[in-house]
Amino acid sequence: MSRQHISRRRFLATTATTAAITIVSRHVLGGRRHTPPSEILTAGLIGCGGQGGEDLNTYIRAPGGDYKLLAACDVDKGRLDRARRKFGEHVELYTDWRRVIERKDIDVISIATPPHWHALMCIAAAQAGKDILCEKPMTRFIAEGRAVVTAVKRYGRVFQTIHKIMRSGLLRYCPAVYIQQGFFPVLRYCGKVNLKPLPVPGHLDWDMYCGPSPLRPYHPHRFGGTHRLYWDYEGGSLADFAQHHVDPFQWIYGKDDTSPVEVEACAAPTHHDACGLWAWVELKYADGLTLVLDGNEWGPRYDRKEPRHVEISDLDEESHKKVEAMPEPEPLLWFVEAVKTRKEAGGHVEASHRAVTIAHLSNIAIRLGRKIKYDPVKEEIVGDEVANRLVYQPMRRPWHI
Amino acid sequence: MPTLEEIKNLVGQIPDPDEGGSYANLDMNKVEQIEKVIAQLHKGGRDSVLGLVDMLVEPGKGDDIKARFALHLLAVHVTRKGHEQARSEFIQAVASQVYGDRPKAVQIYLIERLQLAGTKAIVGTLGKALLDPELCDPAARALTSIRDGAAEQLLLALSKVRGSQRLSIINSLAVLRAEEAADAFRKALRDPDPDTRIAAAWGIARIADASASEVLLKCAEDHKGWERINETDACLALAENLVAAGKRSKASAIYSHLRRTRTDLPERHIYETAAQGMMTTR
Repeated sequence: MSRQHISRRRFLATTATTAAITIVSRHVLGGRRHTPPSEILTAGLIGCGGQGGEDLNTYIRAPGGDYKLLAACDVDKGRLDRARRKFGEHVELYTDWRRVIERKDIDVISIATPPHWHALMCIAAAQAGKDILCEKPMTRFIAEGRAVVTAVKRYGRVFQTIHKIMRSGLLRYCPAVYIQQGFFPVLRYCGKVNLKPLPVPGHLDWDMYCGPSPLRPYHPHRFGGTHRLYWDYEGGSLADFAQHHVDPFQWIYGKDDTSPVEVEACAAPTHHDACGLWAWVELKYADGLTLVLDGNEWGPRYDRKEPRHVEISDLDEESHKKVEAMPEPEPLLWFVEAVKTRKEAGGHVEASHRAVTIAHLSNIAIRLGRKIKYDPVKEEIVGDEVANRLVYQPMRRPWHI
Repeated sequence: MPTLEEIKNLVGQIPDPDEGGSYANLDMNKVEQIEKVIAQLHKGGRDSVLGLVDMLVEPGKGDDIKARFALHLLAVHVTRKGHEQARSEFIQAVASQVYGDRPKAVQIYLIERLQLAGTKAIVGTLGKALLDPELCDPAARALTSIRDGAAEQLLLALSKVRGSQRLSIINSLAVLRAEEAADAFRKALRDPDPDTRIAAAWGIARIADASASEVLLKCAEDHKGWERINETDACLALAENLVAAGKRSKASAIYSHLRRTRTDLPERHIYETAAQGMMTTR
């Protein structure tokens, strides 16, 4: 059994599963015809911080495959020194990720940088014919996601976003509304509004770190984990956590290829730079299904609907029939099996884009302090031209999507 | 018409951040207080904006936390439906303060507020900012967000700038899919800077300029590494856009070329993508 496969009905009863699979050499995988020196995927790692390298272990080695790390890249030379000690002398080190992409001997790129770089790196990896493991959140704004989807599909690459697919066990079923409550650490995701510029440390390429985002004065709080608290690099707790919770939600409800049409948030007035406080976000789909992200840490409680934790056996007859009538979703594959079979991985590119779109739409409603309407086909906000400026955010030269 | 002192007093009513420097300390009373301040500033119109701008300082050179916060909240506030007149006043007032002897960091902050709230009415101000090496890229991004009237300003500035400013402008014209920039894109394919060539290639793809397909293919052919990867992608994107525009024979020529030339193993995925694309031309 090599599939991370679980029935929708069992899933709704808050079940989870994992699986083990085997690896075969890259040359029989379809796609590129070369034969690697062994039955091992060759990998390049971009971003050597906390998560760097762990994703390759989790998504290739743990399910039974193997890889050889050939290249590691970071804008922080201190991290590269640590990467050298961790991964060994054979790993070539880089401070410019484009040099990793250029290498012709790498099959898989693992991206573990801050999210403002994710889309550009995913696109470039696809253009260079590499399969992609990308940390969550997949992107920093909505249009990036569509550009990644286009690139991955154009080149027939395997893509998987790293998040707790099917393993969170946090879902609660309710026929009309799903409320994700209390898994968003709101208070500690408020950025600082009083950052004073400091000299850039000699070991850090700050310009490259900022990359497509505006070049701000250096401050360590913008870097190394706390980057999550700033709009330029991520987008607070919603951007950091929503993909964990929303990807399985969208999958189980058959929303992998669509998005909500109305989004309303309850939040404090939002700073231009630092992420701030929010209470809840209500997102409605065209069919009436409502998703509520309830931070449960600040502000007025969401009181329009009651959260319910329902086991399949608790459902009334009508709801039970609805669940039974739901078609089974496609099985989810681990990255390494998807590479082998050239099928879509669980958390594949379109699903991942649609999942993180939830976080981005929520943040747009929070940042503008108003309800927005969204066209999931055109992927544009309807009747609010200013809100669309947050759907597509122009990048600093020379970057573009 | 509020005086500067009154504006300072209003801004002073915005709550202080907590000891850690964040606004995690806001409760609903404080939220209400902020909203009242913004409503008062909104009533003050142009004078409020000018007063707030006068309170901005270079980062690290003083405390303008509340003034910056207020100016941003006002920018968001005026973009609500029904506030069109206030929005017009706001952006005209901000645009009038972009120049002069204000620190560059303050000028950039103002441009970023225009990126959010600006309209065609102030693109001339941003067009002028394109000529300043430090303001060029933020101004180009602001124009790209505003869109309406942006391409004209970018093209006007293009002939007057060099180096990285030229890259910013070509990049923005490509984002905007500015068909009127077709000549500029073709010319920029021969730019000495590889990033400018890549941006131009992308622009050609985005406007589906069939007349540039041969020169684009040659450009990709002549380069290696990062540039080759990007320019080849532009060739494929151009072909896709030509198919979408009904110019199938032009697209077919691109795909044929790539199938003929990208046969080495590391570019096998290009060959395969071109082969897939070829099927869409039939």
